[in-house]
Amino acid sequence: MARRIQVLPDVVANQIAAGEVVERPASVVKELVENALDARASRVEVAIERGGKRRIRVSDDGVGMGREDALLCMDRHATSKIAAAGDLQGIRTFGFRGEALPSIAAVSRLTLDTRDAEEEVGTRVLVDGGQINSVEDLPRRRGTTVEVRNLFYNAPARAKFLKSVSAETRVISEAMTGLALANPQVTFMLTSDDRSLLDLPAVDDAAARVGQVWGADQSSTLILASHSENGFDLKGLVQRPDAAKPGVRRSYLFVNGRPFRAPQLVKAAERGYRTTIPEGVRPWMFFYLQVPKGHVDVNVHPAKAEVRFKEWPLIEMLVEDAVRSALEGEESSATFDTQLAAPPLVVREGSTGPVAPSPDTQMALFMAGAEVPHEAEDPNGAAAAPELEPGATRARLWQVLHTYILAETRDGILIVDQHSAHERVLFQRLMDSFERGGEVGQRLLFPLTIRLTQTEVEAVVDLEGLLERAGFEVEPFGGDTVIVHAVPNPHRYFDAERAFREMIEELTHGSELVRSAKNQHERIAMTFACKGAIKAGQKLSGAEMQELFDELFATDLPHHDVHGRPTIVRLSKGELARKFGRT
Amino acid sequence: MNFTITRQNLHNGLAAVSASIPSKTTLPVLSNILFEAKEDAVWMSGTDLDVAVRVKVPADVKELGRLTAPGKKLQEITRELPEQPVEVATRGEQIELKCGRSNFKLNGLPADEFPSLAEVDFSEGWTVTGKDVNGLIHHTTFAVSTEESRPILNGVLWELREGSMRMVATNGHRLARMGVPAESGGAPSADFIVPPGALQHVQRLFKDDDTIEVARSGNHLGFRADSTEVYTRLIEGTYPNYDQVIPRDNDKVATIDKKALESAVRRMAVVASDQTHRIRLKFEPGRVHLNVLTPDLGEGHDELEIGYEGEELEIGFNANYLLEVLRYMPTDEVDVAFKAPERAVTIEPSGDNDIDYLCLVMPLRLLD
Ligand SMILES: Nc1ncnc2c1ncn2[C@@H]1O[C@H](COP(=O)(O)OP(=O)(O)OP(=O)(O)O)[C@@H](O)[C@H]1O
Ligand SMILES: [Mg+2]
Repeated sequence: MARRIQVLPDVVANQIAAGEVVERPASVVKELVENALDARASRVEVAIERGGKRRIRVSDDGVGMGREDALLCMDRHATSKIAAAGDLQGIRTFGFRGEALPSIAAVSRLTLDTRDAEEEVGTRVLVDGGQINSVEDLPRRRGTTVEVRNLFYNAPARAKFLKSVSAETRVISEAMTGLALANPQVTFMLTSDDRSLLDLPAVDDAAARVGQVWGADQSSTLILASHSENGFDLKGLVQRPDAAKPGVRRSYLFVNGRPFRAPQLVKAAERGYRTTIPEGVRPWMFFYLQVPKGHVDVNVHPAKAEVRFKEWPLIEMLVEDAVRSALEGEESSATFDTQLAAPPLVVREGSTGPVAPSPDTQMALFMAGAEVPHEAEDPNGAAAAPELEPGATRARLWQVLHTYILAETRDGILIVDQHSAHERVLFQRLMDSFERGGEVGQRLLFPLTIRLTQTEVEAVVDLEGLLERAGFEVEPFGGDTVIVHAVPNPHRYFDAERAFREMIEELTHGSELVRSAKNQHERIAMTFACKGAIKAGQKLSGAEMQELFDELFATDLPHHDVHGRPTIVRLSKGELARKFGRT
Repeated sequence: MNFTITRQNLHNGLAAVSASIPSKTTLPVLSNILFEAKEDAVWMSGTDLDVAVRVKVPADVKELGRLTAPGKKLQEITRELPEQPVEVATRGEQIELKCGRSNFKLNGLPADEFPSLAEVDFSEGWTVTGKDVNGLIHHTTFAVSTEESRPILNGVLWELREGSMRMVATNGHRLARMGVPAESGGAPSADFIVPPGALQHVQRLFKDDDTIEVARSGNHLGFRADSTEVYTRLIEGTYPNYDQVIPRDNDKVATIDKKALESAVRRMAVVASDQTHRIRLKFEPGRVHLNVLTPDLGEGHDELEIGYEGEELEIGFNANYLLEVLRYMPTDEVDVAFKAPERAVTIEPSGDNDIDYLCLVMPLRLLD
């Protein structure tokens, strides 16, 4: 019998592998830029023509390659980055398969120019459809330039699937942005048909990079969100709730410096935002994760776009908690300030290349000694109240328009919306008291007789137990009537009948607020907070304002009401000085 | 207008009236006091449109006339004047004050712009003593509601009957009711719902030995003694039938030393929740236990010896409501009567007396 199985020639094998690694021009850019970063480049320049379909050129000032390596790197599984399977565990480099260059070369005409520090003269290797055509001397500075022309010229079936020039350009720019965010201390340039798309000189930290890409207006809406737990460390930037908008979201995730996708972590972050943003709003988020060796597998996706964590729930918790605690702080409140400095967030010191890696820098995602300022945590877990003027034992409070409360703080002025603030207070109070069995109801001398619609009566009957635990003792009286014998008594201006009616109406017919709740308890607590809170227009005494102020800062999220609106707007002394031309 | 008045009389008149002037107003004339120089005296009036106060002060009137002038400023000036006669006169639209070498001219406004006070015919009214009215006001007004959805409960119900009168106030959580015998002098029975602010002026301006005439005109009520008048808008509507909800079958009665109970409740209140102010009272023969347990804060316990023979019963209270009620109880001992944990509790002066005073406190539900 004739032998039917044969080992594929390398050229064919590489073409098949290319199908996995090189999907479109952006994959080429991504692989080449990653190689540059692995080579510890401080500057990466990319030029593309016609969306990368005609030409992609990636130049770096990294360590470069000697002649021998320059030839070897075109072979499959030739890599300088790992030597044994175990090395993959704590991998710090982007590359580890030794597949990218041969795969790209197999489906394009590729020129590799490179020189390392040891050799006098550089090397140029010309590869055509995977075949090395020539190797020449080339005078050049240290570093590497890879040029890829006519991608998929020998794979017309693949070429057919490419999108329009503008679509491919967009994807390339997106891929590069991700890598640029992961490496703020590296300069990135992208030009497309001689038009500059990204021009990102090296900066110190991630927020500055966000500012370079999307403008200072955007980066100044970000606050730090950090959290660490048994060797797992998360540093992040998330958007202030008041600045978050519906529509396009920017969410970037990095683990050990490597971008990845994980919708479940975005969801976890959104859980952290719960009750601070309205439904449908999509806050921006940038998370830089650092996990101990062996806890993340980066080799699960052909394009390395996804990773697998050993403990997903832990990572999700980390993200959720980081967001939560960021929102507890004063920084997360709305502000009048126009020229806010973006919070500094140092994420990575260059890239840690394969050559002579220093274990310190490898483990330190954050630059050693880099101070990450973030809200000092109160040991009681309560959010810190703003620092008052020195000497003042109590903040001086003024009521404005019977709606807002003004307070002077060490850093300027806080404006509290009395209704929103009280909503937050009541929400938390009722949620806490649900955990302990319920709120006490004040028995009424004149029970309320309330007529409702049939569906509302049914809702009341369904919710009777929960309403009772919220303090409302309700008795269905037959037909469309219920009698309320006891009510909560959250403040002396509380109109129990109206609050009850409005709550039932909202609970029966639904609302954005009701939909944003996680469960029935939250639904009740939110509607109660919303309907029961002190109203705008209610004149308050000094003592009442003080009490509201104190209670607000005793909640977990004093800066946000339950609708996703701010409870507090800040006006800093810096901004005041700017407005009055004092700076 | 031209009159001479002692500094003291001018000062007293201004002090009485200016308390009724609103501190902030969009109607400038309301910050003014109306002066009316009549034959033998000067009348001064102030109003915030809901309540008006009018007082008569002795003065030597040389020229009749009327004018309004800024109340607070006049008061401040008068406070600083030497003890000498003050000559007050109109100079065009200005008011001029001369006292010794001091001389002031303040811009006034024409008297016609001042709102006219309710016209009340006092010949068709009731006559009450200052002592009785002030007593009722003092013991009930604290219980009015501060919540504005039921305006009726923002007022004090005043019932005038043949031979007696009563005041009642409640916010639906607690209630105060006091009655006194009173000679109606043949006037018909009547019910008024009076804003507490007006009653405070009455209490402030009328002395116990004043004989006060009270009369109604439309939805205004007037109070008058010889030199002082108070007018108020009445709250319209029907007061809820409070009598029906006052329990008559509270068969368990504890007699408690008021001061001891007050201070024990005050101690408990420190540890009570800021929101509900809930404390618990457990009655057992001879003793009441006070308990408070507030998550995140702590707990407290106290006990008092009391006169009580009934069965054991525990009731939850808003400590503030209890304290308010106790504060106004006029006797050293109080009778606390109850029946079941969710039913209204009544508190009355204890012992042999004819004080017709009852306070009622609705309990807080106990969740276990
Ligand atoms: N820009 C560069 N500068 C220096 N060396 C480079 C550069 N690009 C590639 N190399 C060398 O060529 C080798 C092969 O690169 P290639 O991208 O094919 O594989 P890899 O990066 O090791 O793994 P992966 O397939 O996962 O990317 C690298 O290991 C590295 O030693
Ligand atoms: Mg690579």
